[in-house]
Amino acid sequence: MNGEVLLDIQGLEKHFGDNRVLRGITTQIRKGEVVAIIGPSGCGKSTFLRSLNLLEEPTGGKIFFEGAEITGPDADVNKIRRKIGMVFQQFNLFPHLTIRRNITLAPVKLGLLGREEANRRADELLARVGLPDKANAYPSQLSGGQKQRIAIARAMAMNPDVMLFDEPTSALDPEMVGEVLEIMRELAESGMTMVVVTHEMGFAREVASRAVFIDEGVIKEDNAPEKFFTSAQNPRLRDFLSKVL
Amino acid sequence: MTFQERFSLNFIEKGRYKYLLSGINNTLLITIIAAAIGIALGFLIAIIRSTHDTTGRLKILDFLCKIYLTVIRGTPTTVQLLIVYFVIFSSVSRPMLSAFIAFGLNSAAYVAEIVRSGIMSIDPGQMEAGRSLGLTYPQTMVFVIIPQAFKNVLPALANEFIVLLKETSICIAISLRDLTYGTQLISSQTYDYMFPLLAGALIYLVIVVFLTWLFGKLERSMRKNER
Ligand SMILES: Nc1ncnc2c1ncn2[C@@H]1O[C@H](COP(=O)(O)OP(=O)(O)OP(=O)(O)O)[C@@H](O)[C@H]1O
Ligand SMILES: [Mg+2]
Repeated sequence: MNGEVLLDIQGLEKHFGDNRVLRGITTQIRKGEVVAIIGPSGCGKSTFLRSLNLLEEPTGGKIFFEGAEITGPDADVNKIRRKIGMVFQQFNLFPHLTIRRNITLAPVKLGLLGREEANRRADELLARVGLPDKANAYPSQLSGGQKQRIAIARAMAMNPDVMLFDEPTSALDPEMVGEVLEIMRELAESGMTMVVVTHEMGFAREVASRAVFIDEGVIKEDNAPEKFFTSAQNPRLRDFLSKVL
Repeated sequence: MTFQERFSLNFIEKGRYKYLLSGINNTLLITIIAAAIGIALGFLIAIIRSTHDTTGRLKILDFLCKIYLTVIRGTPTTVQLLIVYFVIFSSVSRPMLSAFIAFGLNSAAYVAEIVRSGIMSIDPGQMEAGRSLGLTYPQTMVFVIIPQAFKNVLPALANEFIVLLKETSICIAISLRDLTYGTQLISSQTYDYMFPLLAGALIYLVIVVFLTWLFGKLERSMRKNER
């Protein structure tokens, strides 16, 4: 992969009090890449991902998005977030709004699309995630897998340049994991740049273009999936893989 | 005296029922205006306080709100009403205006705490989802958090307004001609306390039962969205 660099992360640090979760993470995310973030529970995968759209404020280091620093004091956080979609483990759909309004809320309120245009876009996205008949349903009427597919559609409605996924299938019943991974695979094939925190090693191996192992606050391994899963150098990664594979 | 004679004496003769009618009118007017002030100011305070609690910003405003809440909730409503009427409006006799202000400010304090608890009960993931889409903090508050919080606290708010309606009866302290005062005006002319007071109590009861039904209906229609 040698597309342009979308996210340039330099020496990223995040401390919660004296809990030094991220201790200097440096990596680049290039256009079209699908990067799987892997690591033991509590190692800071979510913290890393949430730093990328500034849901967590880094305590050190710099992040550049499309060439501009987003960690500086006068970065426009709201503008930046429009271009960085995020999908959460717990879906976080808006329960008081219909599916259509969930998808159109941000584009309409931010003045990016008119109501009708936004509705048309929502219908397109619903078709794309395989739920064309759910526009008027409420989140509580959907299964977990359906909710997560809607959450993906909602993030895509902003036409983001990169999408962040934080364990998108971890809260799902096993039989629903596949449908969400399938949508993500299609998204990856369409060229979307994706950063995916996941425990789904199959997905990481087959869909990701790069796998990154975070441990003890730093990147311990960063490699193409074939090498990452078969000939890992780092002993902690080897140990980790032997437990999860 | 027969029942009919007492009824006629208290309510029909000299059109005495009109004391009750204009009393109901004033009681409802005070309740509605105070509730409107209470909602507007209460939501504002709730948003300031919960924004401070979750983001650490708005320190000074939060401090002022806290003082306000402490004072209002730490003193009797009757005393507040008397202060507004006799101290703030000491040079002019403005009972209705005094009641609007006193009950409005009072109700705001209680509404604020109800709404704040509603806002704090919303999953932080909702704010994060809104912000991650590029919505600003105020936009997410208005379109995502407040509607859900409002739905959750509607029963508590309804209860607060029913308490408010009944509490307006202390307007008797400033000789405001509300429903309770109307019963006393009749008694002072007929020397009968039982009939006017029972009539007054019955009217309060009917209004409260009606409001309870109305709020229940509103709540059910809002709940339909998420079963
Ligand atoms: N808001 C916070 N305040 C204090 N500590 C936090 C906060 N968020 C995360 N942490 C701590 O940071 C560390 C990393 O958390 P994080 O959620 O990033 O891990 P993770 O790798 O995503 O784990 P998991 O696989 O369980 O999701 C943990 O020790 C956690 O307790
Ligand atoms: Mg996590």
